[in-house]
Amino acid sequence: MRVSRRSLLSAIMPAATGASSAFAAARGREASVAGGDPASAPTAPALRLDSNENPLGPGPAATDALTRELAEAGRYPTNARPSTADLRTVIARRASVAPENVALGAGSGEILRIAVRLYTSSSRHLVTAAPSYEQPEKMAAQLGVGVRRVPVDRDGRLDLDKMAQAARWAGLVFLCNPNNPTSTVHPAAAVAEFVARVGRESPDTAILIDEAYHDYVAHPAYATAVPLALLRPNVVVSRTLSKAYGLAGMRVGYAVGQPQAVEAFNRWAMKYNTNTLAVAAALASLEDPAHIEAERGRNAHARAFTTRVFTNLGCRVMDAQTNFVFVETGCPAAEFREACARRGVLVGREFPPLDKTHARVSIGTIEEMQQASAVFGEVLGSARSGAAGASRLSGGRR
Amino acid sequence: MSARRPREEAAVSCTRRAFVTAVGLGGAGLLAARRQAWAALTGSAPPPRPLLLHNNENPVGPDPAVLEAVRSALGSGGRAGRYCFEDVGPLHQAIAERFGVTPENVVTGCGSTQILRAAVQVFTSPARPLVAGQMTYEECASYADLIGTPLRAVALDRALQLDLEAMAAAAKGAGMVFLNNPNNPTGTVLSGDAVGAFIERVHSVAPECVVLIDEAYHDYVTDPSHRTQAPRAVKDPRVVVARTFSKAHGMAGLRVGYALGHPDTVKALAWEGRNALNIAGLVAATASIGDQAHLDREKARNTEARRFTIDWFARARFKSADSQTNFVFVDVGRPAKEFRDACKEQGVLVARDFPPLERSHVRISVGTLEEMKRAVAVFANVLGVRAKAA
Repeated sequence: MRVSRRSLLSAIMPAATGASSAFAAARGREASVAGGDPASAPTAPALRLDSNENPLGPGPAATDALTRELAEAGRYPTNARPSTADLRTVIARRASVAPENVALGAGSGEILRIAVRLYTSSSRHLVTAAPSYEQPEKMAAQLGVGVRRVPVDRDGRLDLDKMAQAARWAGLVFLCNPNNPTSTVHPAAAVAEFVARVGRESPDTAILIDEAYHDYVAHPAYATAVPLALLRPNVVVSRTLSKAYGLAGMRVGYAVGQPQAVEAFNRWAMKYNTNTLAVAAALASLEDPAHIEAERGRNAHARAFTTRVFTNLGCRVMDAQTNFVFVETGCPAAEFREACARRGVLVGREFPPLDKTHARVSIGTIEEMQQASAVFGEVLGSARSGAAGASRLSGGRR
Repeated sequence: MSARRPREEAAVSCTRRAFVTAVGLGGAGLLAARRQAWAALTGSAPPPRPLLLHNNENPVGPDPAVLEAVRSALGSGGRAGRYCFEDVGPLHQAIAERFGVTPENVVTGCGSTQILRAAVQVFTSPARPLVAGQMTYEECASYADLIGTPLRAVALDRALQLDLEAMAAAAKGAGMVFLNNPNNPTGTVLSGDAVGAFIERVHSVAPECVVLIDEAYHDYVTDPSHRTQAPRAVKDPRVVVARTFSKAHGMAGLRVGYALGHPDTVKALAWEGRNALNIAGLVAATASIGDQAHLDREKARNTEARRFTIDWFARARFKSADSQTNFVFVDVGRPAKEFRDACKEQGVLVARDFPPLERSHVRISVGTLEEMKRAVAVFANVLGVRAKAA
């Protein structure tokens, strides 16, 4: 099956690969996401299903704030009204914690990088999953910190047992729940058990639980790990407003933990890491939970549609609890990405060790996913099946 | 004393009500709306706003055209929801054009803070110390402390100037020298010739040592002997010039700074990637960088208000350093904390302590001329100055 799908792929691609401008744009963007070289702007508008963004952006209240609070742009975020202190207060209120339990970051990216700096060293390694969000391991590599990557299981779930074993003598465990890029989630009880076990077996090891996709989870047994972070001095939860809150371009993330941990994050954080408009927009969003509820429903609907599209194309899709799906296309991510980019759809980067078989596709609006499904059908279906690939399965494709 | 009492009271209460009344009738509707929004967000009415003369902000903010660019980029259906890595390139291009260099000479950060930290990160280590003036902008020294880089702090000379001779001597074996020109908090500037000669000296005693010149206040300098080192930085791998949009461009809230340097140096400084840059800042900075007319207006506005402030202190017999910035550093002859607390009582915020001169000197940012007129009434009260001095 994989061989035949691969040959189909090469049949519909020109001999010279990697040089098209659409592909260059997509690759450049992905390289930028990974912190690499400058990107060139895309030559034509493409469907951006590559970076797990909220396709609709922020809600009306936040958009309002973004255009209303401009008069404060000349003030440092600590002096502006609203201020970073106001944001900490409201985040704390919504998370049922105290402001002293909240550290702000320029996106959760800053929080993740600080965690690596705080808790690891050349003698205390980082534990992460393979694949998982790369920011922590990239930081570790930059600092010369050892990394142990624990493969996810066949269903794309973090292997908590092996991660706990790898945590012995580690400085930090990075636990992305739900996990990017595999999209799967662990129930609250499993996370609590993991935290307790690491606490027993390696008490000096810190655990960073990244809940970037928290707002998209539908799994009934899932719950935030914030209560664990409040109970334990070396457990920290990170969140971002880049996903469901639709503020990826504004750079707001935060950490929740005990006051001493939060103080350490604040000590390492860039002074004025959060801009005044981001603060205003974040506050407006946090005071509009109905919008997030609606966004969760919108995403779930488009996600279910997308899952069906790929399933009908004969591809296994992992149990997505996020605003993206992780699909076993059976072909290298680079080839799939290039083929899609040539047709105006940008999908996610490569995620070793699953880069030869899996692709990550972000969930856009339902209209965007309908449009994209035609491209996926064309790329993954038979070369003749044309636009509506989802309904045209050949018997051999299973 | 009793004769000037009513006037001071008036000035003080005006200050305290600045948030709701100061901008006049035209702004009243806007302020009322913002006050309401603030109350909705925080569940309380905002306290009256003091005069903010403590963080060297531009009291006027960005040019209206810049705000319009941000508004149109972030309005309904705008770009706030997308990562903005692709918006960095156009800013680098615009900065490069402004300086007649190439985008490979430009690196941007979340304020110049990120640039300064990156420089300490990549050029210093526990074995390669940081050299900095003992009274200078603290960012580099604070970050050096975090990462375990030793600091060689060099005392200022008697004229409150960075002691270039001592700093060059201290550069031997160091990883980086931080030179803030004009210097915060003293406000003084070193001539272009002096800085050029200093770079030569550092290069000869410490060929590996990088000189980072922070020109955050460049646009406010009126001393004709000042010269930016940007043309040198783009050619010399051991010189970096840092700039910010937080001061004359009026964008402290939007968090964009940049540095100019040799392509190899710039590449090294970009070690954290582009994750911390935000779309509002990128759009605003791109719109603002080429607007020399705005900078000229802002410089003229600041120069007038600065002159007024320095003259007031001079007439009141308090000596200030020769400010080339949007703040003044004044010998008030008493602890900064005492002065600061008393001013705060009366609705004016002035800056933190700057050791070793925290027993005698205060840093006061220059607001608008109207703000400074209100502020000096408070200073008069706090310092016991006769009314006619103001």
